Amino acid sequence: MQQVTSTLAAIDYVIVVAYMVGMLAVGLYFAKYVHSTGDLLLAGRSLPFWAIGISIVASDIGAIDLISGSGGAYQYGIAQANFDWVGSMPALLIAAFVFVPYYWRAGVFTIPEFLGRRYNAGVQTIQALIWLSFMATNVAIMLWTSAVFLHEILGWPHELAIAITATIVGAYTVTGGLGAIVMTDVLQVVVMYVGAGALLVLSVWEAGGWHGMTDKILALGDKTQNFFTLLLPHDAPTPYPWTGIVFGLGLILSTAYFVGNQAVLQRALGARTEWDAKAGMVLAGLLKLMVPVLVFTPGLAAKAIYPDLERADQAVPTLVRELMPPGLTGLMFAAFFAAIMSSIDSYLNSCTTVFISDIYHPAYRRIAGRPLPDWHGLWLGRLLTAALIVTACFVAPLIAEFETIYVALQTLLSLFQGPTLAILLLGILWRRATRWGGLAGLVLGVMMTGVWTTLGDDLFPSERPFLFVSISSFLFTAGVTIVVSIFTRPEPPEKLRGLVYGDVVHDAGAQAILRERLDTP
Amino acid sequence: MWSALSEWLARLPLWVAQICVLTLFVAAGAWALMLPREFIYLDAPDRARWRDLRIWAVLFLVPYVTLYVVLGR
Repeated sequence: MQQVTSTLAAIDYVIVVAYMVGMLAVGLYFAKYVHSTGDLLLAGRSLPFWAIGISIVASDIGAIDLISGSGGAYQYGIAQANFDWVGSMPALLIAAFVFVPYYWRAGVFTIPEFLGRRYNAGVQTIQALIWLSFMATNVAIMLWTSAVFLHEILGWPHELAIAITATIVGAYTVTGGLGAIVMTDVLQVVVMYVGAGALLVLSVWEAGGWHGMTDKILALGDKTQNFFTLLLPHDAPTPYPWTGIVFGLGLILSTAYFVGNQAVLQRALGARTEWDAKAGMVLAGLLKLMVPVLVFTPGLAAKAIYPDLERADQAVPTLVRELMPPGLTGLMFAAFFAAIMSSIDSYLNSCTTVFISDIYHPAYRRIAGRPLPDWHGLWLGRLLTAALIVTACFVAPLIAEFETIYVALQTLLSLFQGPTLAILLLGILWRRATRWGGLAGLVLGVMMTGVWTTLGDDLFPSERPFLFVSISSFLFTAGVTIVVSIFTRPEPPEKLRGLVYGDVVHDAGAQAILRERLDTP
Repeated sequence: MWSALSEWLARLPLWVAQICVLTLFVAAGAWALMLPREFIYLDAPDRARWRDLRIWAVLFLVPYVTLYVVLGR
């Protein structure tokens, strides 16, 4: 990527610096509302629906998505949009109306905690360790990839880029917690939408308007004839055959992502009411509609204007360099920073939450024989968040040398998506699911998914077989959970109160228990 | 077995894919509409009409359905 430092005017630097200082100030402002562990990790359960919806989308869009998402559109056309369209609204509705109410009513801080209550400590610990390793490594990865981007585009030294990003995000996440994260996310989404919107208008204009753009792309030959078709044939030489998109992404992966990803759901768990938690998820469905339009259309415009780029992920940097005037370039860079920061802060906070709720707190209770004091949790949370971001700064440069770690962790997470969804779904919808069923389903499901992933290319003839692997792993885990549950002792009714479908809406006793849980600090 | 299934899937016309996607969206909307009113309003500050999330869910699904009708295949 060529550097655009020379094209950055003073006004661009002013905009970027003003954005960063503004985010820091807003984030630090919310520190005054943090007085307890619940305030730090769940914003004191005070979040309104609009902030939840916007924040979910902010966390979901990373700087890499802006680059690689546009690159995907440059390479494969609008089929790339399936990940935000088929892969969002149905899953968000399921999350809003099936899962979130149960999480919220159970008064839990994390998804592993919910699984621990529904099944047993083994399921909780396995889930927590996997999410911890994934999220902690992801913070370092996001810091590094952002540093690479800023180095390639602006010429900033890697260390400087990491230090600036980590200092700003770390400062408001440590002091302001989830409340600061969500409120900065709201502002960051505005910046992202305005910056990406400006690039969209300019690039499509340069490509000759929508019709000019489509004519130019379709004139490029056979490879671009499917560029404006969302659903591609099952045997199309792309990673997005319709079968994988509908059954793998639409039914399994997207649902698993929106009902099981702590970084996404933490906002809903911090809602001021159950209605706000549900409404936030529904609103996120509307906001996700706009993401492909803003992110992928510039990739299509780049295909029309610069059809011979060496790499697809050069599409957006090239457009920024060639088309954006002073002022708007700064706004675009502010949008990139917004995407970077809104993702890092979410993973930082969620990582701390999972560690305290699912690892430290159970161990403390076992050793000390009493619950974790609130002041202890608050300061531990702050200390952990600070330690995590500092460690991530030092680990980030190592990512370049150990790229396989990143690939391995991504693969590891993908192994858990289908099995996690299966035990969550059965746990809520089927009261007969037992602790041993859940544990066996999770462990065997992950192992079998590992085998399928290893043999994926041979078993599933697709460029990216993970969409098909997810279907198989979900069905296998569900089968194991059902069979083992049938042959093991049913869970006592008092344990299931408030955790399974039908028990909360109709059972006054369960409601009373849940209210008591929520009212207890 | 997978190869035979894969060949069969490859022979299906794309309108089948379009129907599958549209079914996913329509089913999600229909299911949302059937949810009990008490469940939707549970914990809401008031019973204002605009807080009926079933209506918003269906409204938000309309652009998705339109996109897949127009650009599906």
